[in-house]
Amino acid sequence: MEPIRNFPDSELVANLRAGKRMDETIKTIYRNHFDSLNWYVMNNSGSRQDAEDVFQEVVMAFIDLVKKDKFRGESTVKTFLYSLNRHTWLNELKRRGRALAREEKYEKGQERIELDASHLISDREGKVEVIKLVGQLGDICKKILLLFYYENLSISEILDTLDYQNEQVVRNKKYKCLKELEQMITEKPLLKQTLKNLLHG
Amino acid sequence: MSEKLVQYLDDELAGSEKETFEQQLAADKNLYEELESLKVAREAVKIFGLQQKVSGIHQHMMLEIQGPDKKINPARRILRYSIAVAASVLLIVGGIVGYNFYTLSSNKVFASNYRPYELSTVRDGDTQQVSPVEKAYREKDYKKVVELQEQYNSILVKETFLAAMSYAELANNTKAIDGFKKVIAENENAGTSLFKDEAEYYLALTYISNKDYDFALDLLRKTRDNPNHLYHDKVTGKLIRQVKMLKWR
Repeated sequence: MEPIRNFPDSELVANLRAGKRMDETIKTIYRNHFDSLNWYVMNNSGSRQDAEDVFQEVVMAFIDLVKKDKFRGESTVKTFLYSLNRHTWLNELKRRGRALAREEKYEKGQERIELDASHLISDREGKVEVIKLVGQLGDICKKILLLFYYENLSISEILDTLDYQNEQVVRNKKYKCLKELEQMITEKPLLKQTLKNLLHG
Repeated sequence: MSEKLVQYLDDELAGSEKETFEQQLAADKNLYEELESLKVAREAVKIFGLQQKVSGIHQHMMLEIQGPDKKINPARRILRYSIAVAASVLLIVGGIVGYNFYTLSSNKVFASNYRPYELSTVRDGDTQQVSPVEKAYREKDYKKVVELQEQYNSILVKETFLAAMSYAELANNTKAIDGFKKVIAENENAGTSLFKDEAEYYLALTYISNKDYDFALDLLRKTRDNPNHLYHDKVTGKLIRQVKMLKWR
């Protein structure tokens, strides 16, 4: 059984920013915050599954914001996650068209005293579409692109995991895969704009 | 050019080579747009990678947070069910006992155990020998019984007992208690047992009605402990428990 590590906020944020010990750090977020955030969704018309889905989105959004240096520790990680969770869930309720008037009234009263994270939450549906689109790439393409651009492995390290003759073949394959994905995105102008916004936002 | 573009995207150009390429980018709008498109594709890969990473950990953490499904062996399952059944039975029994405890009253216990005392049947030839007190009692004229007793103050044990029974019928507990006690005392003084068992039993019941539970319990235990007592079978363990419960309340 793996030992359970618990990071203080500063170390947690530093790990996410540097992409270090990601698994342990993300697990710490789950262990420390899932129950309280889960409670919020389930007490506001949500099911357990809703709470899990929202939390997963919140974790992704938080890591993305930390990496883009948009979380600078003005509030605790807990407060920040709570705010992201609240806005993600309220947006989902509105999307489902069943946000309760009473709830909205209550939430409006809270706006002034809580951190407003609504502007930090990126286009949720756009992200879902991006994930779907990348998922359509072939397995080899996905693997090479993920190892290089997400895991930050070098071409020589990738060569060790794949059955290719030399690094140049891997480089060529990586280029072809990236171009293929670029073409797929270009065919969807709205999605391309969403990604541009995420990139520069 | 495409190879250079990817090298620039991957931050593999350095020094003058990088500077020259950046000048080309500034001058060539199409080249700049192509770089932007590749950056967008790279961003898509990063979003996908993050989703895959978090999704994998999410599954693992949901199992950890909710706890693994525990496989219970059959013996343990049977034991659990047995404990659950026993707990349910205990709860139901507790509920019944609790209900009985709170609804129990002296009147209820008295009424469920009290039966009017009945004199034995008189043969035709003996009617002349029946006293007015006894006659009135047989006719259930309890008022007349107590009037006659108060008027003539009979010293006969039988008439004293019938008068006490009549007071009990008329719900005059104080007079009934005095009467039964007098019957018991006279028997003790004379070393006899005329209506003694009857007096003890009805005195105990009158004590219950009068909420004198300690006195009632003494008599009931004495009766229960004596198999030769006329009312031994009538004094059940249940009756004694009920009086004890009344005493605790």
